[in-house]
Amino acid sequence: MAIVATTSRFSKIAWPTLAWVVALIFFFPIFYMVLTSFKTDADAVKPEFLFSFTPTLENYANMTENYDYWRFATNSVITSVLATLFALAVGVPCAYAMAFNPSRATKDVLMWMLSTKMLPAAAVLYPMTFLTKNVFGVFDTHFLVILVLCLINLPIVIWMLFTYFKDIPKDIIEAGKMDGLTTWGEVKEILIPLAWGGIVSTALLTFIFCWNEAYWTVRLTTIDAATLSKLIEGNRAPEGLFFGRLSAVSTAAVGPIIVLGWFCQKQLVSGLTFGAVK
Amino acid sequence: MANRTIPRLLQTPAVLLLLVWMLVPLGMTLFYSFIRYVLNSTVRPEWTTPSWSNWRGFGNYEFVLNSKDFLFAIKNSLFIVGSILSLTVVLGVLIAVLINRSFPGRGIVRVLLISPFFVMPAVNAVLWINMLLDPVLGLQGIAVGAINDMAAGMQDAPLVGWFFNLWPVLEPISFRATQTSAIAVIMMVTWQWTPFAVLIFMTSLQSEDQQQKEAAVLDGASRWSQFRFLTLPHLGRPMAIVVMIQAIFHLSLYAEIEIVSRGNGNKNLPYLIGEFTNNNIGAASATGIFAVILANIVAIFLLRAVGKTLME
Amino acid sequence: MGSIVLDKVQKKFGDVEVIPPLDLEINDGEFVVFVGPSGCGKSTLLRMIAGLEDLTAGKVNIDDNDVTEVSPAKRGLSMVFQSYALYPHMTVRKNIAFPMRMAKVPQDVQDAKIEAAAKSLNLADYLDRKPGQLSGGQRQRVAIGRAIVREPSAFLFDEPLSNLDAALRVGMRLEIMELHTKLKTTMIYVTHDQVEAMTMADKIVVLQAGVIEQVGSPLELYHTPRNKFVAGFIGSPKMNLIEGEEASKHDATTIGIRPEHVSVSTTEGMWKGTVGVAEHLGSDTFIHVHNTGLDTGEGDLFTVRISGDIAVSHGDTVYLTPQMDQLHKFDAQGLRIA
Ligand SMILES: Nc1ncnc2c1ncn2[C@@H]1O[C@H](COP(=O)(O)OP(=O)(O)OP(=O)(O)O)[C@@H](O)[C@H]1O
Ligand SMILES: [Mg+2]
Repeated sequence: MAIVATTSRFSKIAWPTLAWVVALIFFFPIFYMVLTSFKTDADAVKPEFLFSFTPTLENYANMTENYDYWRFATNSVITSVLATLFALAVGVPCAYAMAFNPSRATKDVLMWMLSTKMLPAAAVLYPMTFLTKNVFGVFDTHFLVILVLCLINLPIVIWMLFTYFKDIPKDIIEAGKMDGLTTWGEVKEILIPLAWGGIVSTALLTFIFCWNEAYWTVRLTTIDAATLSKLIEGNRAPEGLFFGRLSAVSTAAVGPIIVLGWFCQKQLVSGLTFGAVK
Repeated sequence: MANRTIPRLLQTPAVLLLLVWMLVPLGMTLFYSFIRYVLNSTVRPEWTTPSWSNWRGFGNYEFVLNSKDFLFAIKNSLFIVGSILSLTVVLGVLIAVLINRSFPGRGIVRVLLISPFFVMPAVNAVLWINMLLDPVLGLQGIAVGAINDMAAGMQDAPLVGWFFNLWPVLEPISFRATQTSAIAVIMMVTWQWTPFAVLIFMTSLQSEDQQQKEAAVLDGASRWSQFRFLTLPHLGRPMAIVVMIQAIFHLSLYAEIEIVSRGNGNKNLPYLIGEFTNNNIGAASATGIFAVILANIVAIFLLRAVGKTLME
Repeated sequence: MGSIVLDKVQKKFGDVEVIPPLDLEINDGEFVVFVGPSGCGKSTLLRMIAGLEDLTAGKVNIDDNDVTEVSPAKRGLSMVFQSYALYPHMTVRKNIAFPMRMAKVPQDVQDAKIEAAAKSLNLADYLDRKPGQLSGGQRQRVAIGRAIVREPSAFLFDEPLSNLDAALRVGMRLEIMELHTKLKTTMIYVTHDQVEAMTMADKIVVLQAGVIEQVGSPLELYHTPRNKFVAGFIGSPKMNLIEGEEASKHDATTIGIRPEHVSVSTTEGMWKGTVGVAEHLGSDTFIHVHNTGLDTGEGDLFTVRISGDIAVSHGDTVYLTPQMDQLHKFDAQGLRIA
């Protein structure tokens, strides 16, 4: 290949090295956070212990005592998982119908759904607070957080599923019809097996978005349904006293999600660009 | 046709949910934006309940437009969003081109690069403003301190001592002041969203026509001309999409501002709405409507771009 | 059994009428081919028979039963798709078994039928592979296998061979014809390939813009095309259609002469022209002749097909003489003049 032939030895070493350097710079803040999480609060602010220190697990051991971590983590898990499942339960049938029985309105409906995602949340802050607190009395409940997380992610869920379903050849569904499948059979025998990868990555991505959500989870909760976002936000200014423990709780809050994220990088692109970049 | 009913039925729950979600709160905001509505008022207690009799017309909008905070918040929003956009796009293209080749450990490089995107905004802000940027205890403070110490230590050294004597003592920057905290927000969000741009540009680069590139090589195009005349135009569309999606996300940036800037005067539109909401709901609602309009201006362009690819 | 009668079937997509009301009878055991230009509604018509497309009006009868409102699976038809439409997540065996599983056929009967189908379609070695691991021809066989095991009253094929390369296409064409001889089941076959239509069909249905232009055996269509459209559509290379002065000599608006019914001479003949391109295929030679002075609708280009080889090349002057008994005449409406 001509392109390979023109590559000099210098560029063979220099560019990859640069790429590595850039990647390490970008990862450094995370690395530094993880590193600090193994220092005592006292060590964490001492320059002499920057990279050489006696590692300790006490920050992790004391997470419950210091921050009541598990309560917030449990809330995050419950709300994110249920919101994801609920969004899928509503989104799969909708995307299925849109992909395989499109009407002339389908495109407009999809665009409209997307536009709801683009409304700035802050614009409806007071009505939401008022409605949930004074009218429905669901302020600071798991139900509310789940519902809101589901609603704000529903457009993305439907869009992602729609793009996956649309890639399934219509012929296969029709072959199924000829072979005697019912609507439910189509979903069970063809749609779900074929789009399984897409459904799973949609679920993963939705879960990540729910977990990281930091507007409604902060503004519509106080204690009972507060998630990790709220916990971290509440400890925004530790005045340097608690860098060790704060790093530990932060690491615990983002670690699992980063790892999950590694597994759905590819889907992230189509999910976040609504299928416009493939 | 009978077989239209099942598809309709399947779409109904989603459509209904989103319809209610969109119309009810937004309708209330619209209503409140035209009436006098405050949470506490000893002088005018009738204003504390929303009612048509408190109609104020465009009064709230006028009030908001004339308030210093609003202009500042708009300017600041645009400053923050604009800076983030330019930084992420430029960095994104450069990094995407840089890693769009095969080299040892490319998979790991990708994984390292994408990681910041998955950090929750609250952690991102807390991490940067404390552990990294704190002028005394953060990495910035430590680095500045180390440089100063080194300079001080060298002042007595023979031969080079005079040189370090001339060295000024460095002052670490506090990122909690009004203007610098906007810079801190730009830094942390750029760190978080550059990976997103990289990922999208890389995906798009992989669909670049290799034969076209080979043809260009045969035509004697230099690396730079290839980049300038083939790669950049190819990235035009993804760039537009990255810009629009980020614009929409960052116009409603909240956690970072809240954590970095609480009480120091730095604000953007969502933050300002939060402040108004403490008492003046009318003003908060009018500001909200402005935010909706601003977001819609971007959204129209984005929807158009997305819509083109939708049905193929 | 498998006689199919279409009674004034009509199809509209929104306001666009793709198929105006149309009647067609297909007898049991017939091999019927639908041909027509792209977008003329062949697939739509086939899918209406299959039940995959609702009728806007009219009735579909299979074996004298009105099946218009019957679901696709209950019509007792099998369909083979252009894209094969195999279930990619199932093995070949499971693919073939699928319609039987849906119909709750007992397992031992299923196994026996799969065995038989695999044997007759040369798939025995591939039964445990997934479709992704098969070649195009093998996939097509699996699709046919899946159609056979249902023992349908009619097979529907929608351009089943168009994704295969030329050599495979010939082979599969023969296999499908053998299958028809063996099973004697009604087959409806959509194609836009001339050769497939001419060689396979008992009966060809020529469609244009959703309208049936002619129904007949391949040779009927070849020898007595009902109108100009069919005349131009059936046969390859296309029939030469001549208008103007030359046509009026025969009391017609248009006269048609097939390329193979013209003799070529370098010395004398009825019409004179110069050779543009001569395609020497060995067995045949196609000569595209210019400057004939004839109004052929493509300037004055005239195509001739000569059996065997003839030593002419670009720029040569040639003389053309049509065989008068093979002349087709059409009136102002484009209809054949007897
Ligand atoms: N779902 C649909 N909605 C609207 N128009 C349609 C639809 N399906 C087909 N058509 C239109 O109906 C006409 C007939 O289509 P059909 O697929 O039957 O053509 P065809 O003869 O099979 O063509 P080809 O040889 O290209 O396969 C075309 O003009 C097509 O655009
Ligand atoms: Mg077709």
